[in-house]
Amino acid sequence: MFNLPIEGEELFVLEFGDIVNYFSLYTTTLFLFATAFIIIAIIARPERQTDIVFGTDAVYIKDVNQENLRFQRFMAIACGLATLGAVSSGDLFNFSLFTALIGITNIGIVAGVNNRYVLNAAYNYGIVAMVATTFLFGGAATALGTCGTLSIWELAGLGMVPLAAKMFLVLGVMGEGMAPFYIAKAEITRAPGAPYVLMIHVSSLLIFLRVIEIILTV
Amino acid sequence: MIRRIGKGFRIFSNWMSTYENLVAVYAALGILVALCGVLMVPMLTYHEDQIYSKTIHRDSTLDPYDRGGIPFTRAEVKAQYPANSPTVGFVTAYLTPLSWFLANSTPYLGTTIVAHPGGILDEILYNTRGLDTVVETSILFTAFAIASFLFRRRD
Repeated sequence: MFNLPIEGEELFVLEFGDIVNYFSLYTTTLFLFATAFIIIAIIARPERQTDIVFGTDAVYIKDVNQENLRFQRFMAIACGLATLGAVSSGDLFNFSLFTALIGITNIGIVAGVNNRYVLNAAYNYGIVAMVATTFLFGGAATALGTCGTLSIWELAGLGMVPLAAKMFLVLGVMGEGMAPFYIAKAEITRAPGAPYVLMIHVSSLLIFLRVIEIILTV
Repeated sequence: MIRRIGKGFRIFSNWMSTYENLVAVYAALGILVALCGVLMVPMLTYHEDQIYSKTIHRDSTLDPYDRGGIPFTRAEVKAQYPANSPTVGFVTAYLTPLSWFLANSTPYLGTTIVAHPGGILDEILYNTRGLDTVVETSILFTAFAIASFLFRRRD
């Protein structure tokens, strides 16, 4: 597996029974990137949105509710941990599970915003994320049925995983990683408590990068 | 002509920029991929040598969950990396004394897998692929956390 061009050299291997996580040069880069953003989520203070009243000197500062902040921070850290799992997983089904967990925590981050418009966007994203799990686990199941195993170590470089399973996996990750579209549209980035929303972008980016690596490897 | 194309394009981009419609876009993609998947079914072949194979013994008292083995002996269980699971085979064979008594005296223990503690522990769920089970429960608890947060929020 580590002689394939995309992976780079083998750095570290972490065994959980049949699920053997691997840290190649590629996945370690993603892992460190996610770690950096978890640290940012832990130490960052939320942004306070300001509205300037046109034509006067008055400025409104929106306060961030302490309870919402705490929940959003918790969900952002959980999302970061799920991303760590997804980028280092050495097993197709385990990767699918971590990706589904990222989808759920993304909904949680957005759910901490007290705004009807934003919650509506979160609801829409929730529908997509739930539908996407069908394809995600369908892809893993198809791979298991046709190859007899799920370990990326065993499947690497053989090209045994059928195209249908790869398409399902990519579409599933697309659905889970669709959250930034909703964020851009619903302008959640400007909503109070902004730094935690960054984690949604980071996790979506990283699972896309990881699924590309998996598709090229198996 | 160009103006008409431009108008159509504007209507389309207007429609796409409404986030409520993204579900429809994803649904269309999903239908496309699912159709491709259905068309590719004849090309898929079932791999005979399955790592997580399952056999059902209909006459066993642990019927659908019987994976073989008697307590404190090693059952025949396949693992991808046996070196990583030194206790493979012991987990699925183990029954608590109560379950062992029930299994020997009634033919219906397999139907009560959740009704008594320490019944049949699945090798795949709790030993060789234990990390999957951990992540599954994390998903469940995260969903509960979100639901309870939304329910208890004052507004």
